[in-house]
Amino acid sequence: MTATTPTAPSASPPPILALAKRHAAWLGPTIAVVIILGSLPFFGISLPDVLIRCCPLLLTALAVTIPARTGLVNVGGEGQFFLGALGAAVVASGLSESTPSLVAIVLIALGGMVFGALWAGLAALLKVASGVNETISTLLLNYVAALIVAYAVTGPLQDPEAANFPIGAPIPDSARLPLIGDVHVGVIVALVCAVGVSWLLARTRWGFKARAAGGNPIAALRGGLPVASLIVGALLLGGLLAGLGGALEVMGPDGRLRQGLGVGFGFLGFLASWLALHRPGWVVASVVLIASISVGGDSLQIDLSLPATSVYVVTATVLLVVLGWRGNRTGEQS
Amino acid sequence: MFIEDVFSGAVRYGSSVIFATQGEVISERAGVINLGMEGSMLCGALAAFATASATGSAVLGIFAGVAAGAVLAALHAFLVLWRGANQLASGLAISFLGLGLTAALGVSFVSKQITGLGAIEIPVLSDIPIIGPGLFAQDILTYLALILPFILVFLLARTRWGLVLRATGERPEVARAYGYDPRRVRAVATTIGGALGGLGGSQLVLAYTLNWVENVTVGRGFVAVALVIFGAWKPVQAAIGGLVFGAALSLQLQLQARGVDVSIWLLQMTPYVLTLLVLTITSRRQSQQIPEGLKAVFGGGKAA
Amino acid sequence: MNLTRHMRRASAAAAAALALTTTMAACGSDSSDSASADGGKTTATIGVLYVGPHTDYGYNQAAYEGIQELKKEMPDVKVLEAENVPETAEASRVMEKMIKDGATVIIPTSYGHYQPAVEVAAKHPDVIFLHQGGPKAIKPNLGTYFGQIYEAQYLTGMAAGLSTKSNKLGYVVAFPIPQTLLNINAFELGAKSVNPKVKTNVVFTANWCDPAKQTEATKSLLDQGADVISQHQDCTKTVVETTERAGAMSVGYHADASSLAPKGWLTGSVWNWGPLYTKMVKAALSGDFASSPYAGVYRVGIEDPTIALAPFGKAVSADTKAKVEAAEAKMRSGELKAFTGPIKNQAGKVVIPAGESPDAASLEATDYLVEGVVGNIPQS
Repeated sequence: MTATTPTAPSASPPPILALAKRHAAWLGPTIAVVIILGSLPFFGISLPDVLIRCCPLLLTALAVTIPARTGLVNVGGEGQFFLGALGAAVVASGLSESTPSLVAIVLIALGGMVFGALWAGLAALLKVASGVNETISTLLLNYVAALIVAYAVTGPLQDPEAANFPIGAPIPDSARLPLIGDVHVGVIVALVCAVGVSWLLARTRWGFKARAAGGNPIAALRGGLPVASLIVGALLLGGLLAGLGGALEVMGPDGRLRQGLGVGFGFLGFLASWLALHRPGWVVASVVLIASISVGGDSLQIDLSLPATSVYVVTATVLLVVLGWRGNRTGEQS
Repeated sequence: MFIEDVFSGAVRYGSSVIFATQGEVISERAGVINLGMEGSMLCGALAAFATASATGSAVLGIFAGVAAGAVLAALHAFLVLWRGANQLASGLAISFLGLGLTAALGVSFVSKQITGLGAIEIPVLSDIPIIGPGLFAQDILTYLALILPFILVFLLARTRWGLVLRATGERPEVARAYGYDPRRVRAVATTIGGALGGLGGSQLVLAYTLNWVENVTVGRGFVAVALVIFGAWKPVQAAIGGLVFGAALSLQLQLQARGVDVSIWLLQMTPYVLTLLVLTITSRRQSQQIPEGLKAVFGGGKAA
Repeated sequence: MNLTRHMRRASAAAAAALALTTTMAACGSDSSDSASADGGKTTATIGVLYVGPHTDYGYNQAAYEGIQELKKEMPDVKVLEAENVPETAEASRVMEKMIKDGATVIIPTSYGHYQPAVEVAAKHPDVIFLHQGGPKAIKPNLGTYFGQIYEAQYLTGMAAGLSTKSNKLGYVVAFPIPQTLLNINAFELGAKSVNPKVKTNVVFTANWCDPAKQTEATKSLLDQGADVISQHQDCTKTVVETTERAGAMSVGYHADASSLAPKGWLTGSVWNWGPLYTKMVKAALSGDFASSPYAGVYRVGIEDPTIALAPFGKAVSADTKAKVEAAEAKMRSGELKAFTGPIKNQAGKVVIPAGESPDAASLEATDYLVEGVVGNIPQS
């Protein structure tokens, strides 16, 4: 392209190509997404359902992506998502129908983000202060988070109208996410987050440092990078995103906190991020794929009466195949 | 007696976890982390239960359980050692595969009845107060779970096999100098580890619940991985971790049965919180003892 | 470039997986289509949701068996079934999918499917929803039905109270919700009516079906000297078997599990949903649902075939059997009520004044345990 050509005025490439070149990282994933979504009708899978499912999965996947690029394994998306939903319910319980819609939604989303970030922050603290491996701590914290939600819906946040049944009180109607067609706007928020994460990792100083620390922590430490604070930051951001996912799920399809809300989303998000090698563009594509499999799995279940967990078989197999295909490219010595 | 009841409960509930911790110790001492332990346990549990149900023999069930656990771990070993897959991601994916597969294949076994492994009471010893019923009135697999850590200590410290295994985990070049291919040693260790996970799953369904349901292990395999760090990669300490985990559950149920006013939520959390707490206290010290070969994957805060 | 090549492979693998999934789904729907084509006269489609697997010797199995009976009674109705449907927005999506597949009647069988059902019902006024156990009916298209199984649980409590030697009964419960508390209370009241000394120890497992926890919970009750164990879990097999192996007696719940406890089986409260399901679906398909009782809050007691006592086991003496059967007859005629005041809660405070017998609706808001029950409702 740099070679000079005689026909100077028309030398600049057509705008569409320039755009494609600038955003090459997103071109492949976009094509993949279009292909997957376009093929849904042939399989009888509902497009709105897939998009709605993408919202929580994308956020739990991004919650894995940022720490992963910083060299951390966050398996706690599940628990951070639960805590986000809890935070959302806590904030919502203090709001009323008269709270303006936008204010209510923003406050609840913030509540979810703060709770999710704090939960991940706990794992970060344990790692930085005591050297507890984050894989193990985030995994164990998932179980604790699920029990905290169970406690909340049988006690403090229980719906007084529900005749003592353990579900949370409905959030005010004004705090429900607006719909575009059948899909709530949370899906767009999640997509914006994906673009934001991509920008953060690729274009900012923080992202550069985080990737440096992830690539070679020893060298990063020698080079004077603040590895500890990068670790804390990456996990906090991850938890924040997963927590936002929980809050959006409460404001979107569910409308209240429940036990069992979002079970498995954190793990599917984990698989999605690994499937995409933690490249934000491809994370979106793999989330769309997993959401399609997961929603398609419902048909599988209704038509073939297979258990709901069958979706794990398909997703995990895909990931294992990809992991196996990669060859010795991980830089691990064996 | 309260303590006696809690202790027996701890042994009963903890033995499946003990098997998994021992398997994980072997695997990690050779240098491979296997987060697929949960999957090995589930596959072991279903294979054991299905075999016992089909043949009427719980003993055949044990073999099937061991084999199923081993197969899944071998898959992990292949991906990690020959294909260079990330150990943590591969392990988790394997666990999900195990969860989904067993849920789908296990549907028809959900209400099947089996004859499990009976308790074998050791006379006199089982009458010892506090520890007697817990240690000496159990089934054969539970006895094995209680003895295995000591066998493993011996094997690791005193046999050529143990030396090679440890060398592989610490200094692969030494193992190579002895004429062993570290990759193959690791593969064998990981597979044996999965087999023990399968054995844990078998104990769970053949000796304890005598029942199969989807996700019957509810995270025991993951807990086992945490307990191995807790136990500083030492078999007996990891096994004690398993017992503490069992005791935490047993304690809360025994308290409830006695009408003690306790929050069940708080009690349900204790096993996990306790594990985390102990990890917090011990991790710094533990990171000195982490097998060299694991450090690349499992820095334990080394970077911090 | 390596990465791109890898990605191409990844997408290929992914596409293959998606194709695999959906082909399986497609095959599934093909086969069911051809099945109905063989019948040649599908007149209606209904959808049924279960919260757990249909083979749990418990709540879901009871519902599933009722649906199988309905299928036999109404062979021209096509039934879509989904198991393990979580009690979240997932349930809404499954219902929407069933409606898209042509279902005009939806039967969500779990209490927790209620809210999702209410939401979906509002969107599809032409689809009729029959919810199992829900608190309120929503005009015009959502009715709720349930059985006062606590009446049967009172009778099984009598059998337990007459059979126990230690005067200690055990109850393995999942969560403290009105349905479970109501059953524990009825059980203890029934037992106390024939044996004033009897106490019921309660253990909550905080899980509807975790066999390991159930085993340990049962053993902790047996350790306390309980010699009759009842339960409120979704899957009941483990508790019954553990009790049997320990040589203690079992009172079943949800489904007849007498075959699991040949020695210690006393009796149990069981659901027999078939006749009611059939009646309700017929009413719903008749075009005149709104005027049927099922459009409201429909509750049946022990006088209805929906609720029954499981067959008595060998461990039950002839005398006990006669007493329980006499009480059952009195209950059917309305002479005997499970809850008749004065009834005190654990703190000794009167919760049902003397002479009063609350109706099912007010009992469904139970938030206390009665005197004689040992154990605590987990406090907030």
